[in-house]
Amino acid sequence: MDIFSVGFWVVAIILTVISFIKSKKKTLGAMKQAKTMMSSMVGDIIAIIFLIGIVLTFIPPETIKSVMGSANTLLSTSISALVGSITLIPAFVAFPLVGSLVDVGASIVPAVAFLTTLTMVGIVTFPLEKKEFGTKFALTRNALSFGFAIVIALTMGVIL
Amino acid sequence: MNVLSIVKKNKLIIIVALAYLAILLFAPDQAILSLKNSMYYVIEMLQIMPVVFLLIVAIEVLVPREVILRSFGENSGIKGNILALLLGSLSAGPIYAAFPISKTLLKKGAGISNIVIILSAWAVVKVPMLANEAKFLGVPFMAVRWVLTVIAIFLMAFITAKIVKKKDLPTDSRQAEELTINREYCIGCELCAKLLPEYYEMEGDKAVVRKSPETKADLPALRNSVEKCPAKAILLTEKEKAS
Repeated sequence: MDIFSVGFWVVAIILTVISFIKSKKKTLGAMKQAKTMMSSMVGDIIAIIFLIGIVLTFIPPETIKSVMGSANTLLSTSISALVGSITLIPAFVAFPLVGSLVDVGASIVPAVAFLTTLTMVGIVTFPLEKKEFGTKFALTRNALSFGFAIVIALTMGVIL
Repeated sequence: MNVLSIVKKNKLIIIVALAYLAILLFAPDQAILSLKNSMYYVIEMLQIMPVVFLLIVAIEVLVPREVILRSFGENSGIKGNILALLLGSLSAGPIYAAFPISKTLLKKGAGISNIVIILSAWAVVKVPMLANEAKFLGVPFMAVRWVLTVIAIFLMAFITAKIVKKKDLPTDSRQAEELTINREYCIGCELCAKLLPEYYEMEGDKAVVRKSPETKADLPALRNSVEKCPAKAILLTEKEKAS
C-alpha cells in the first residue's frame, strides 16, 4: 500500500474512534446506513471492475491511446465529455474507471472531461432533475457543467 | 424476493458474468487475461473501500449537519456559499441523492447559487472519496482537479443565479402533509418497510407509500424514516407551521 493510502487509513480510523467516543449509538446507526448505501453500489462496482478487465483485454491500449490520447486534444476531449454526459454515476465508481483509462494511456485532459461530465452531467437523469427544479434550472446547470468540464480539463492539461 | 427482482437489481453484474462465460467458451486465454487485468483493480478497491466507509460514518456523526442547514439565508453571502460547498463535499452518494435535500433548502429560502454549489460539489468534489481518487488517479491530479473544480463551481453558481430566478422553479403548493417515495432513487433496501410497515411496503424491488400521514403523532417517526433512507428517496412535505 502506498503512503497516501496508509495516511487515509490512519485518518479514517482516528475519526471513527472519535465518533465512537462522541456517540456510540449514532456511530453504529451511521454504520448501518453507510453499509446499506455501499452494499447497494457494490454489485455495480464489481461489475464495472470486471468490465474494465474485458475492455483492457480486447481493446488494445493503442486504441484507447489513439482516441483518448490523440494529438487533437479538443476533439478527443469533446468526445470524452459527450460520452460521460450520457448518464450520472457516483464518483465512487467513476474514479477506478477513469483511473484504468489513464493507466493504459489516455491523456489527462480527456480523462478529466470524462470524469467531470460522468458525475455532473446526465442526459438519462435529466427528466428527474427537470421535475425537481424546472427545465430552465436543469438546462442551465447541465450546460454549464458540460462547458466547465472541458475548461477544467484543458486547464489541467496546461498545469500537469 | 423473487428471481426476477434479484436479476433486475443485479443486471449489470449478470451481464458481465455472462460476457465472461461467453469469452471462456470461445477464447479461454482471453478470459483469464481479463480476470488478471481486473484483479489489480479489485485489490486496489478492497484497500480503499473500508476507508470510504469509515469516512462516511465519521462525517455523518461529527459534522453537525443541522447547524449547516439552518445557516442558508437568502442573503447568506460568501458564508452561505462556503457552507454549501462543505455540505455538498462532505456527503456521500451520487448527485441525484442531493435533489431532495436541495428542494427542502430552496423551500426554506436558500438562494439558487447555493443550490448549484451543493449539487455540483456533491457530484464530484467529495471528501469521503479523497482516498479513492488519490488511489486511482494520484495525488497531484486530485489536488489540481479539486482547486479547478471548486473555482468552476463558484463561477457556475454565479452564472446560474443570473440566468435562473426563483420564479422559474416549479412551486408546489401542497396543503396537507404528504409522503412520497421517488422510485428512481429507491434502492430497494427495505429499511423503511421494516421501520414503519404501516406506512411503507415493498412493491417488487421498490418501496411504495401505503397511506398519507394521518396524525401529527406519527410525524416524528416518519421524519426518522426519511432521515434513515440511505438513498434519501423519501420525501415528507409538512404543512407550514404558523410561527
